[in-house]
Amino acid sequence: MKLLQTMLALQEREGWLSDETLSQLAKETGEPLYRLEGLRSFYPVFQEEPGAKHVIEVCRDVVCRMHGAPAFHEELLQELRQDPDVEVREVSCLGRCEQAPVALVDHHHAASNATEVRLALDGQAQAHNVLQAVDAATDPYPTADAHYGMFKTLRDGAADAGRDTVIDELKASGLRGMGGAGFPTGMKWAFTRGAKGGPKQLVCNADESEPGTFKDRCIMETLPHLMIEGMIIGGWVVEAERGIIYLRHEYGEAAEILRRELVRARELGVLGPDAFGPGKPFDMEVFISPGGYILGEETALLEALEDKRGEPRNKPPFPTNVGLNGLPTLMNNVETFAAVPMILQNGGDWWQSQGTNDCPGLKYMAVSGDVAKPGVYCVPMGTTVTDLIARAGGVADGKQLLAFSPGGASTRFLPADKADTPLDFDAMQKAGSALGSGAFVAVAEGRDLLDLATAQARFFRNESCGKCVPCRVGSNKAVAMLEDALNGEVEDGLAELLHELDDTLAQTSICGLGQVALSPVTGVMELFPEVARRLGTKEDA
Amino acid sequence: MSNDTVKLTIDGQATEVPAGTSIWDAARELGIDIPVLCHSTRMRPVGVCRMCVVDTGARNLQASCVRPCEDGMEVDTRSEKVEKHRRMLLEMLLADYPEDSARDAATGDDELLNMARDYGITEVRLRDGASGRPQGVDLSSPVIAVDHQACILCDRCVRGCNELQHNDVITRSGKGYGTRIAFDLNTPMGESTCVSCGECMAVCPTGALTNRALADLKLEPLGSD
Repeated sequence: MKLLQTMLALQEREGWLSDETLSQLAKETGEPLYRLEGLRSFYPVFQEEPGAKHVIEVCRDVVCRMHGAPAFHEELLQELRQDPDVEVREVSCLGRCEQAPVALVDHHHAASNATEVRLALDGQAQAHNVLQAVDAATDPYPTADAHYGMFKTLRDGAADAGRDTVIDELKASGLRGMGGAGFPTGMKWAFTRGAKGGPKQLVCNADESEPGTFKDRCIMETLPHLMIEGMIIGGWVVEAERGIIYLRHEYGEAAEILRRELVRARELGVLGPDAFGPGKPFDMEVFISPGGYILGEETALLEALEDKRGEPRNKPPFPTNVGLNGLPTLMNNVETFAAVPMILQNGGDWWQSQGTNDCPGLKYMAVSGDVAKPGVYCVPMGTTVTDLIARAGGVADGKQLLAFSPGGASTRFLPADKADTPLDFDAMQKAGSALGSGAFVAVAEGRDLLDLATAQARFFRNESCGKCVPCRVGSNKAVAMLEDALNGEVEDGLAELLHELDDTLAQTSICGLGQVALSPVTGVMELFPEVARRLGTKEDA
Repeated sequence: MSNDTVKLTIDGQATEVPAGTSIWDAARELGIDIPVLCHSTRMRPVGVCRMCVVDTGARNLQASCVRPCEDGMEVDTRSEKVEKHRRMLLEMLLADYPEDSARDAATGDDELLNMARDYGITEVRLRDGASGRPQGVDLSSPVIAVDHQACILCDRCVRGCNELQHNDVITRSGKGYGTRIAFDLNTPMGESTCVSCGECMAVCPTGALTNRALADLKLEPLGSD
C-alpha cells in the first residue's frame, strides 16, 4: 500500500510522474526502476506526460452511449479544441449512470452537458447530488444514536460462541455476495474464520466499476454506518485487527463521507485501540484505487494492496486462505457488509422472508438505460423484471421493452419476453443470464443490440490487464471484427469464429473478466435472430 | 504436512505425488509432456500463456503449471476439447507474430513456431496485427536484439532478469493489448542498466530477444571515446 500511496501523492502534487520523479523515488525507497515503471504504466491515475491544466473525462460505456455519449464527447472536443488548458479524453464507466451521459471535470465534478462542463471549468460546479436509494429498508436503526448497536451487543454480550452464532445467522439468511459472484456469505466467513494462520485480514471491495453499476456508491454515501458496522462485525468474527476499504478513485464524495464516518466510529469506541474489548484493537482505513475495473477482481485488488501491478492471481488458493500478504482474508462487497447489521438484528429467517417468489432477502438494484426514473431501488429479491421497470417509472418515452441486461456488462441481454423472470441468482441463470452485481439496464425498441453488446465487449477489452493470452489478444481481435461487422463488413465464418473465441476465453482465461468478455456478444447472437442474421448465421442458429 | 501426498490419474495413469505438486510437474514425472510457452523448469510458474491448460472436470480448463494436484483428480491433458483451445491460443499468438523470427532463422528453436508446426496450424483466421511491426524493434543494445512484435509476454525474461539473475531491469509496461516488455523506466535496452548477461535472451522462447552478430561490433579499450 505504501509505495502506491506514495506514487499517488506524487501524482497529486506534480500532476504527472516524470522519469526524474521516479528515479528520485527509486533512490529514496531502494525500489528498482523497472518496478516503478510497471506500476506507472499500469494504473490509469498515473500520467506519464505533464498534461493540460484541466481534464475532462467522458464516459464511453454502454449506458452513457445509449444517452448520446459519442456526440457529447465530439461536442466537447470541438468546443474545447482551441483551449490548450483543457484535455478531453474518453474513459470507462464512471459509476454515475443515472445521470448519463456523464463527464468528470478535473476528476471531481460530474457534468451531463456542455453547459455544466463549462461551469465546472469556471469553478462554478454544481454541488454533488447525493443519490438516495428508493425504498431503502436495510437500516435497523431508528436514529443515529443507535448506530453500531448490533456490534456493541455482540461484543459486550461476549461469549466467544457469539462469533459462530453470527456465521450461523448469515448462513440461515441465505445472503450471497452482492459484488457479482453470489458466493454464500456465511460460508465465506466460516472459511476465513477457520483458515490456518493470522492475523486475519479484512477488506471491503468498494471498487464497483462495471458499466451500469452504481448501487455501492449510493450505499456508501447514504448508509456508510451499515457498511462499516458490517466490516467491524466481520473483523470481530474472523478476529482481524485491521480492515481496508478499497475504493475506486472516481468516488471522491464517498471517500470523504466514509472517512468522516470512520472518525465518528472511533469516537464511539467501535474502532480504535479497545474496539474489540480492553486492549483488543481494530481499525480501518480507506485505500484509494489507482484505477482500472480489473482491480475489482478480488485477487487483482490484493495485488494492488501489495504494491504490484493489479493482475489477477491464478486460483486456487483463494483469498479466504491465502489473501493479503499471504494471510487469510475476508473480502466482501459494500452491499454485502451493509446487510449484516439488519440480518443480525432481525435474524436470518426474517431476512429470508423479505424476498418474494421463494428468493431470500433484499437487493439494491442500480437501474439505468431506457427507464423513466433511473436510480437505485431496494427491492425484495425475487421481484420480477417487469415490476422493477415499473418501479423505475416504466420504459422511457412510453416505448416498448426490447431487451434487458439484468446485472452488469457481463450479464447477457435477455429478450423482453423474459421480463417475468425474478431478480435472483438462480432464476437469472436459468433464464440464460445472471444477476451479477445488480446493474440493471433496460433497452427499448429501436436500439441496436449488436452495437450495445459490442460496447460491452469493448469495455472488457479496454479494461483487460493483459496478463493472459486469451483475454489480452482474444478480446482485441473480437472487438476489431465486431466493429467491422457494424460497418457492414462481415467476413465468411465470422459468427462461428466469435463463438470459438468466446469458448476459448471462457475456458482458458485466468479471471472472470476474460471469461465473460465475449459472452454479451454471443448472447445477442443466440437470443436475437436479427443480430444473428447480420453476422451471417442462420436464423435458427 | 510435508509428508502428505495426493493420488490422482493423468491420462489414465495413476500416480501419487507430494501435496502441492503442480499437474504439469506430476505429468512430466510420468513422461507426459504438456505443451507450454511461459513455463520453464528453472522458474517460478506464472500461468500466463495458458497453453498448458488441462481438463480436470472443473467448470473451466486449468493451467497445469500453476494448478496443484488434488486427491482423486482425473486429468486429461490431450482431449479434443483441450487441443481445440490450444489451437485457438496459438492462432491468437500467430496473428500478431512477425513473418520472420530471428530465432527461427538463426537457431531454429523458436518455441512458438515449432509448436504451431506440431499442431499443424497453417491458417490464422484472426486479423493480422503484425504487419509493419507496430510494437517496434529495439537495436540499441550491441549484443541483444529486441523485437517487440515477436514478444508473447510469457514473462520468462522478466523472471530471468529479476528472479534468476537479480539484475532488476525488465518489466511488463502498459496494460491490456498494449502491454510490452520494457527496461528500467521504459528506456531503450542499450541505455538501460542492463549488464548484457544474456539470461533474458537465453530463456526467451520466441524471436523477441536474440543474439546480435558480433562480427561488426567495434571493441574499444576502456577510457577511449
